[in-house]
Amino acid sequence: MDFVILSLVMLAIGIYGLLTNRQLLKVFISVELIATAATLNFVMLAAGQGFGQAFLILAFSTDTAVSGVILALLVIVSKKYGTSDIGKIIQMLQDKGESEDEVQ
Amino acid sequence: MIFEILAVGLIISAILALFLDEVVYSVAALAGTFFFVAFIYVLNGALYAAIFQFAVGVGTLSILFLSGEMLGDKPVRKTSPKRTGVLVGIGMVLSLPAIFLSVSGSTTTTSDISIADALWNVRGLDVILQAIVILTVALGIGIVLYEKRKGGQ
Repeated sequence: MDFVILSLVMLAIGIYGLLTNRQLLKVFISVELIATAATLNFVMLAAGQGFGQAFLILAFSTDTAVSGVILALLVIVSKKYGTSDIGKIIQMLQDKGESEDEVQ
Repeated sequence: MIFEILAVGLIISAILALFLDEVVYSVAALAGTFFFVAFIYVLNGALYAAIFQFAVGVGTLSILFLSGEMLGDKPVRKTSPKRTGVLVGIGMVLSLPAIFLSVSGSTTTTSDISIADALWNVRGLDVILQAIVILTVALGIGIVLYEKRKGGQ
């Protein structure tokens, strides 16, 4: 049983989800999985010693703050465009840009 | 044996969290991921890490549940049991390398630093600065959402 490979597999799943999912909330879940993979590595390599747990607490606190920012942006973007699909949002932005070009 | 079961559960729940169509079910699967990680920490003697993982995970998940309910687009089709079974199978296959392969040697180092020493004596300044940053971020998010709500009205 190797926790380095376990965290690598989790990292790979997170990156794959980050690249393939189009829903904003799923992208956020991918980021959470990547952060969990990193912290799993920290703690398991330190094998229960103080340093690994201290690093986990610091890293996870930062991750939580980042999560708050991402969720606030997600709420604002979803309310503004009426959808949480990245493809649709990009399409709307492109359409908006084209219509502004035509006006000019 | 229990670590292998936890590894399989961890990978399966991570895959379900990403690829289930319903957002609320995805968040429930993410809760499973956090639970398995916390359980692995407990079994390795990292009790503080497990408690922190569990507490922060629950906090994040409650917000995610709310966001998922508020913002989640209703999927065109629900996830079929067949697709769920395929996802579970993929998860089991992906967890095999972690069970049977090994890259790390016996490089475990020992140190007498406890978690309290590590947090307050070695990284004390980091902890205080990080607390200030997190409080600032929380205040900023509150202000942004308040302004957004006021602007919407």
